[in-house]
Amino acid sequence: MAEFSALLTAKAEWKPHQIAKAGDLATLAAAATALAETVKSTLSLASAGMEVVKLLATLQNINPLLMALEALADEVLKQIQDLKEAGYWYLYVDPYYEGNVTPTQKYNYGFEQLRNKAGKRIWEIKDSSGNWTDTPNIPTLAQLNEEKAKPHYASPRKLIPGGYDRDNPLQDPLRSSSEGGVSKFPTFTTKEVIKEFVKAFDDEGDVPRYKLLGEVSAAPKAGEVVYDDDGNAFTGWDPKVDFGLELFDMGQASEDGSIVKNYVAARKALNSKQSVGKPNILGNTEFVGGSGAIAIVIASGDFQSFYDVFNQFSKMFSDIPEFASDTGKNLLDALTEIVTPNKVTVKLTQVDTKYQSFIVGDIIGGKIYNSIGEIIEIIDGSVVPTAMIGRKEVKDTDDEGMITSVMQDFNMNETERWLDMEVIVNPIRNIDGLNPWITGDMVLEMEKRGESGNPEIQDDVFPNYVFKGQDTTELPKASRIYPKVAIVAMEKLMVLPDSTPPDFGGIKIKDIVPGWGEFFQILENFVLQLKGMISDSSAFIQDMIDMIKQVEAFLEYMIKLIDEFLKFFQITLPSQGVYALYIPNQSEGNEGIQSELKNATGIPDLGYAAGLLFVGTEGDKLIAGGGSKNPIDLLALVLGLL
Amino acid sequence: MAHPKGEWAEAEIRRDDIKKLLENTKQLAEMYSEIIGIKKAGWENVLRSREKRAEKEKQNG
Repeated sequence: MAEFSALLTAKAEWKPHQIAKAGDLATLAAAATALAETVKSTLSLASAGMEVVKLLATLQNINPLLMALEALADEVLKQIQDLKEAGYWYLYVDPYYEGNVTPTQKYNYGFEQLRNKAGKRIWEIKDSSGNWTDTPNIPTLAQLNEEKAKPHYASPRKLIPGGYDRDNPLQDPLRSSSEGGVSKFPTFTTKEVIKEFVKAFDDEGDVPRYKLLGEVSAAPKAGEVVYDDDGNAFTGWDPKVDFGLELFDMGQASEDGSIVKNYVAARKALNSKQSVGKPNILGNTEFVGGSGAIAIVIASGDFQSFYDVFNQFSKMFSDIPEFASDTGKNLLDALTEIVTPNKVTVKLTQVDTKYQSFIVGDIIGGKIYNSIGEIIEIIDGSVVPTAMIGRKEVKDTDDEGMITSVMQDFNMNETERWLDMEVIVNPIRNIDGLNPWITGDMVLEMEKRGESGNPEIQDDVFPNYVFKGQDTTELPKASRIYPKVAIVAMEKLMVLPDSTPPDFGGIKIKDIVPGWGEFFQILENFVLQLKGMISDSSAFIQDMIDMIKQVEAFLEYMIKLIDEFLKFFQITLPSQGVYALYIPNQSEGNEGIQSELKNATGIPDLGYAAGLLFVGTEGDKLIAGGGSKNPIDLLALVLGLL
Repeated sequence: MAHPKGEWAEAEIRRDDIKKLLENTKQLAEMYSEIIGIKKAGWENVLRSREKRAEKEKQNG
């Protein structure tokens, strides 16, 4: 039951983050550290080498350069140290990938109402003689209530997303999404993101959790006394339950037969931290330090723009694990699939040529499961007559006039009226999302009747497809229009296409700096060995020159790579679509941050949004250029908010 | 321009932390390269002068 309720309450969770300790940036920081440390440890060698060549005029002015180099190495090390020490909580509100919050769709299900070619809904109006006639003119509510007018439903009745809305019959569900009409994309508004930010501070379940290390059988039995980090005893232990603090066993009773002197070394950890929990700032009555936050919301009124900004944003924050691109399907893939779903191959059977065979460009839709797509290719050689074997009773009269009957197979498709074919389909997002092609569903040709989306936004208008001829089903047979028809035999798994550069993961530090750390380790060991054996033998000098040449070549390569990487980080995110709120260090704890988040104005309520909230608490050291003790101010500085 | 206090505002977000780290690391690599280059030139001069001296000693017999 607990697992079930956990599933029902998917929520954004707080996670720890330290710049220079996560993702690709950690790799770069490690490489820069190795270089800086190598430089420092080899400077003395450079000086020692100079003793041998001190008479050479070219080296007389090297000292200032050496000093500058050492100062720079110190600065790099300090910067990395600062970045490593700057720790935050972060909260990512993700409506679209793993979905730790649930986006909403703006539609209701209702019976499909017929539309004319212009996309207007068709109504039936009763005239004075009691006859019903069709009209695209919207009746009044009174006419509908008095049953003098009614929607002209498609026949047979079909429940569709964005169908006739009994509670709001006069407004077209396909009106502009800016006026509350249906949207093809799942909506999560800026207000909802901010609400999630505020809510996350109150989540009682988002606390540090520790899970058992090892097997239950190896842990102390339920009910035994266990100890916390300081050695305080606790009852209530159960190895099957998660607790909110780190626990230890009693440890060894004796050490080599003598009394244990160091209980810390003798004890064994029983659990380890699995989640960090929300920032533990309880307000100024219990926590003297301050806290601050930076909230960033990526938002747009149209999904395509949201997608574009999010793409850039996620590249820039690739040190946040959720945006990292190196594990399986990432967040951007999930968004890309919403914007441009992958093609699918659908095997169709019983394509009835009496109503024509499908061709490239046809829009087809599943009758029951509401899948929609455009045929973009008919696979060569896949069009073959459908094997339709029937059984029939054949009667035979023998010479004595006795009638015997036998069952025989026969080809029901002798005239090859029905065909099988494999088609590649570009799926089209329906109002309720992408629907699968289910075996056995009837596939019919579709045509455009009206549009949905927001006409004021480019690329935000989508055709509304209905089954071809559905407005003729009640007419006499001769006047009916019959759509092309088939049955879904199967959806075939498709190999994913190669991506088109530049990729989301196109630039990764760990790929462009492979082996930096190892290289500098080798270099450092080498020079340390040399230190003790400076000699003036010609063989040694030649070795030294050769080694320097290798290092020079490596450094040249490294500089080129950094340049490549720098090009990427020289960019500044365009301000359009990225909203930030900076809450400098304050002393009101979580409540103070919540209140600032709730009360801040200046953000429009846009339909598609995701958000990232950083929270930092005051430490005891000055950082951010000596102006603050809260790493949030350092973050504000480096993000360009100060 | 500083970000307004207590208000949401559109922001041109940068990553100066990564940029600065990259720039510093690059400068470090360049300067280190320059120093070892000078050092290499020095060692090469030492080798050359030794060769000359050895040649001279050889000529002088």
